[in-house]
Amino acid sequence: MTLLREHLGFDSVPASVNLCALCGSVVIFSGMMPARTVARALLIGLTFAAPGTPAYAQLPAVAVERRLAEDLALRVGDTVRLGTAPDSMRALATVGAVYEPRPDPAQITKSERHMRMHLPDLAAILGAPDRVDRFGVGLVPGTPADSAVAALERTAFGYQAHASSAIASESSQTFIVVSRFHRAIAVITIVASAVFLLCIMLLKVEERRMDAAVMRFVGVRRRTIFGALLLEAALIAVAGSMLGTGLAFAAGAATNAYYRRFFDTALVFSLITPGIVFFSVALSLGLGLAAGAAAAWRLVHTRPMVLWGRR
Amino acid sequence: MIPPPLLARELRKDYPMNGETVHALRGVSLRVDAGDYVAIVGPSGSGKSTLLQLLGGIDAPSGGAVEILGTRLGSLSDRELTRLRLTRLGFIFQRFHLLPVLTARENVELPMAEAGVAGRERRARARELLAYVGLDHRADHRATQLSGGEMQRVAIARALANRPALLLADEPTGELDAATGHEILALFRQLNADGTTLVVVTHDERLAAEAGRIIHMLDGTIRD
Repeated sequence: MTLLREHLGFDSVPASVNLCALCGSVVIFSGMMPARTVARALLIGLTFAAPGTPAYAQLPAVAVERRLAEDLALRVGDTVRLGTAPDSMRALATVGAVYEPRPDPAQITKSERHMRMHLPDLAAILGAPDRVDRFGVGLVPGTPADSAVAALERTAFGYQAHASSAIASESSQTFIVVSRFHRAIAVITIVASAVFLLCIMLLKVEERRMDAAVMRFVGVRRRTIFGALLLEAALIAVAGSMLGTGLAFAAGAATNAYYRRFFDTALVFSLITPGIVFFSVALSLGLGLAAGAAAAWRLVHTRPMVLWGRR
Repeated sequence: MIPPPLLARELRKDYPMNGETVHALRGVSLRVDAGDYVAIVGPSGSGKSTLLQLLGGIDAPSGGAVEILGTRLGSLSDRELTRLRLTRLGFIFQRFHLLPVLTARENVELPMAEAGVAGRERRARARELLAYVGLDHRADHRATQLSGGEMQRVAIARALANRPALLLADEPTGELDAATGHEILALFRQLNADGTTLVVVTHDERLAAEAGRIIHMLDGTIRD
């Protein structure tokens, strides 16, 4: 049971296209598959028959990545020639399936194209059946990964088994760091916006000096004026948060649409979760209210005659 | 014996300015009885607006005392003074100073809301007051949608909202044209006829002529 990555050349016999110069990265899998690698592995247990092509009926089947199939105009049932080098394209295979690989951020900038086949077929092409060094194991649902790992490591000397969650965690470290970096930028942006909001509130409050003075003259209490200004700040913060959230979703959708098209992938480039929205709105409201409170406090603790502009 | 709505004794107000002391008021005494209509006139800088501010408790005198219905303003805390201005005094300003985001009715309701008058009662009184000043048809217009004369009438209705013992007006026709000023004059005459005590600071000779008593001020003193 082996997983092997190897570069192969191949061409499409029915289409009479010379594909020798095109190298694709091939991921081969045989045996049981862990959930994480299912999308990257050849479908096990399936046998592919090239319909309507009896001469090739017994050829090994391969699964071709959708982008590769599109690049080469391959369809299920086509026959391809495979080899390890352009001058050794001797093995024939039929396209048994075209698959959409699981989106992988680590792969989007690479021009590699993948195909999958049964391990014995790959071993036959390579002539080196013992070169496989990694494979995935799928567990029956409910089986504890830790006990499976322990069992595998006891099976033979030299095995190193890892739970897919541990591998995922390890391979996600870069993205976690990037995510934290983005969060830091977002927080700094919001705080800077809050400073801007504070300035706006102070300016708006400055415009209200006369109104505040008149309200004080006619007997309106400080706390009423303070409350009114705080309410206004809260409304501004809520409106700003709603507008910001809407803009974020719109910008996220535009970003995803652009990069999905650009990279031809289903990856989500901009993800706005309820948690992010909650955090941002809470931070904005808190800072907006603080800004409003600071401006209002300053206003109501200024003597009405000073607000009136007399002294 | 009911104390007079307004009693001022030996009011003085000094301002520091450029290292010197300016004597804006130099010992002004004044008594205004219920139902009086008093006009304070004088040239600019004579101290009439300063006097009005001291009488209304919006500024503190450097010396002397002001009593509103027997309550000495100098003895009140800021909160008590605010309450007194709310319930005992009505202010009318030259530039109206309505809150622009509120409608005419809401502007009139504001002092009543602050005084804790129930919603239904204050709405009814606001309607009544706006009808009194001839603006019931403009009740739901924002202040910015009103003309100068209309804004001043709303300001008068606002000043009357909590049935004050004394109405203080600072140049109430100063921003109005002659015709609109006449309307305000008529309204003041009607207010006084209905029992409102008025103290008006004005340059407007017509408005002063309407008053039952005219106080002339010069250099911070009263020259009767």
